[in-house]
Amino acid sequence: MEARTETELLLELEQLRAELARQERESADKERQLERYAADLRETFKQERARSQELHSSYMATVRALSNAVEARDAYTGKHAERVAAYGIEISQAIGLQFAGGEALEFGFLLHDIGKVAIPDAILYKPDKLTDEERALMAQHPIIGSEIVRGIDFLGDAAKVVRSHHERWDGDGYPDGLAGEEIPLAARVFAVADVLDAMTTERPYRPASTLAVAREIIVQGAGSQFDPIVVEAFSKIPDEAFERIAREIE
Amino acid sequence: MTRCVLVVDDDPFIRKLIATTLEDVSRFNIHEASNGLEAVEVARRELPVLVFLDVDMPGMNGIETCRRLRADVATSGATIVMLTAAHGERVERDAEEAGADLFLTKPFSPLALLQLVARLGEQGSA
Repeated sequence: MEARTETELLLELEQLRAELARQERESADKERQLERYAADLRETFKQERARSQELHSSYMATVRALSNAVEARDAYTGKHAERVAAYGIEISQAIGLQFAGGEALEFGFLLHDIGKVAIPDAILYKPDKLTDEERALMAQHPIIGSEIVRGIDFLGDAAKVVRSHHERWDGDGYPDGLAGEEIPLAARVFAVADVLDAMTTERPYRPASTLAVAREIIVQGAGSQFDPIVVEAFSKIPDEAFERIAREIE
Repeated sequence: MTRCVLVVDDDPFIRKLIATTLEDVSRFNIHEASNGLEAVEVARRELPVLVFLDVDMPGMNGIETCRRLRADVATSGATIVMLTAAHGERVERDAEEAGADLFLTKPFSPLALLQLVARLGEQGSA
């Protein structure tokens, strides 16, 4: 093999250097281009997140407005729905349940009584005992409510709270007379939260019970009115958690 | 009829990036060419409504390719977007004279790319 001259070698080296420099430039270009993509991605993500938060708060505002509209007719319950929703979320978390879409659950809790819009004032505000006929009409409110929210897709399973919030673990509730685990879990959670708030809130015909008394009544209802597992989880929640909610939502 | 976009760049990385970015988001069929001659040939066959054209290519460069596309009745109606390196004012002037419509400076923003195509898509369907 013919030995190459020094000049040829130097020339070859020069060409290799030039090629290397060209490749380095190209890869620097590629890097800059990818950085540009990354920057756009980051920006898009930030914008999307802001937009979804905005959307979420307007959902919340809409649902709150709706639940407030229902409660506006019901003078003594005040912010019952908001408190029940907060208690319900607290209990759900204690069960260790990862509800798919925790916020949808909150919507369901907030709107549980929406069917009452269809109940005439004369029945809703009647100070005396309801007649059988009136009681039957009153018992329709979960069905009417579930019809009202039927088209709201983002409620998902939480819509079941609206229909089943008056069911009882022993099957004596309404409107469908479901028993045990036939009752959607969110509704079983709601039942406990509902009684908790009803008892600890003052009503025209009776004073508010203490939290301790309410707890006792709920524990007694385990297995009859309430799901024992939900009650067990509820019992482990410290008083402070409920007191804080009651203080914040007055 | 699905409208066609032609991406012309000697760098397969850039072609792939543009094609991938436009995939699924536009109602366009995407074709690629790696040099000017191939671009002219594909353009005659596919009649693209939009051409991304790299200025700096070996052989027939983007300016000349642009001129050729404008000169042919079959391909003269396309919107031509020149891909240029930064600070190429002179190049931009030459490209404009050759008939380029728009410029996208490398490194280009994928959002700008998408917006540009969306705008052209709206114009086309209006």
